Amino acid sequence: MATDKKNGKAEQELMEKIRNGFMVESEEDMTPDYKKSLITQLTVQADTELMSAPAYYLASKDAPTINSRIAVTAIIHDELGHANIAYRIMEDLGVDKHWLVYGRKPHEFKHPYGFDQPLENWAEMVVANGFFDRAGICLLGDVLENTSYGPLKRSLVKVDREEILHLRHGESWMKRLSKAGGEAKELLQRAVDWMFPMTIEWFGLPDELKHHSGQLDYRLKGQTNDQLRQTWMDATVPLCEKIGIKVPAHYDKEKGDYILDYPFPCQYNPDEKRWLFDEPLTWDQVFKRWKARGPMNKTYAEMVQGDLDSIFGGRLW
Amino acid sequence: MVTENQVWQALKAVNDPEYPLSIVDLGIIYKVEVLHAIVAIEMTFTAMGCPAIDMILLDVDEEVRKISGVKNVDIEIVWSPPWTRDRITPAGREILQYYGVGV
Repeated sequence: MATDKKNGKAEQELMEKIRNGFMVESEEDMTPDYKKSLITQLTVQADTELMSAPAYYLASKDAPTINSRIAVTAIIHDELGHANIAYRIMEDLGVDKHWLVYGRKPHEFKHPYGFDQPLENWAEMVVANGFFDRAGICLLGDVLENTSYGPLKRSLVKVDREEILHLRHGESWMKRLSKAGGEAKELLQRAVDWMFPMTIEWFGLPDELKHHSGQLDYRLKGQTNDQLRQTWMDATVPLCEKIGIKVPAHYDKEKGDYILDYPFPCQYNPDEKRWLFDEPLTWDQVFKRWKARGPMNKTYAEMVQGDLDSIFGGRLW
Repeated sequence: MVTENQVWQALKAVNDPEYPLSIVDLGIIYKVEVLHAIVAIEMTFTAMGCPAIDMILLDVDEEVRKISGVKNVDIEIVWSPPWTRDRITPAGREILQYYGVGV
């Protein structure tokens, strides 16, 4: 009996078909392992969109103009819609959408550690749009281009366009804050100081340590973690340099790659919002930090779930 | 001497922040006037609660100021006549349809 599913005949056949351009359209086309990988990926995607909403909502209170407040609330609306799309696709695969949102404990959501952090001023809000939404575009743009799952590919066309609006909002305000100078620029720099390494870490384990990826074998995505990290820096580093904001990375012409100017990964102090460049970590230690979740995890989950046991609570409906 | 045509060309370089069509093709520019070094633009948005108002205004200002001789850009936002989908040009319609937006 085959014990290793990935070495099973059906798995190998599906991978071969996918390599030849086959698009998976329904559950009948899948193997159990393909389905499992797809659901894991969709859960991360949906949870990330979902948890951005409470983070952005709290920060939107700091919006300096009525138009920018409208912009952030519209972005929140988009993010909830994107989460709904991914949960809805999982529903077609037999996963209970309502349970995913209302049935899980805060620490069981699969969003990145970055969305466990408080966004405490307008600079942090717009850097979140400029950095985190850019990460979203890198990740989802890659899925849109490469995924072997048809329903997901089609659903991402509109998601991708909307994320570009969020990014434009972030970058446009980053330019404005930098141009304004003074305290606005200082706060922008401070936001970048903790949010740049936060996004770098977001892309996960380096390729040299990641020996196997079901997501790549099944073409659920196309680029590796390191490639995605480079794609992100390729957009972000020049933007910051252009507006006079320092980032702990530089372009190495000979290697043709962006190089980080600090030990990666390293420790983070969430209370001070400061990366401890003198405290390198192993990835096991990073996973432990992620698993313990960050300071806003419970608050954000409660904002999304509401009072579960009240008359209008998610448990009853 | 700045011409109206130059201003329209500059506005064609300003894209909607979400979909890759220009705000001219989107049909939100109502009027362009040039008085010496001052450019007056009358424009609207697709909705009063449009999230991209600030971004588009900044882009319009930036692009029009790139025209040599322009000293000031005066943008007036109007809501009458209201924008409707009929104002989208055929070229703009094609782009939106590609992205699955019904027009």
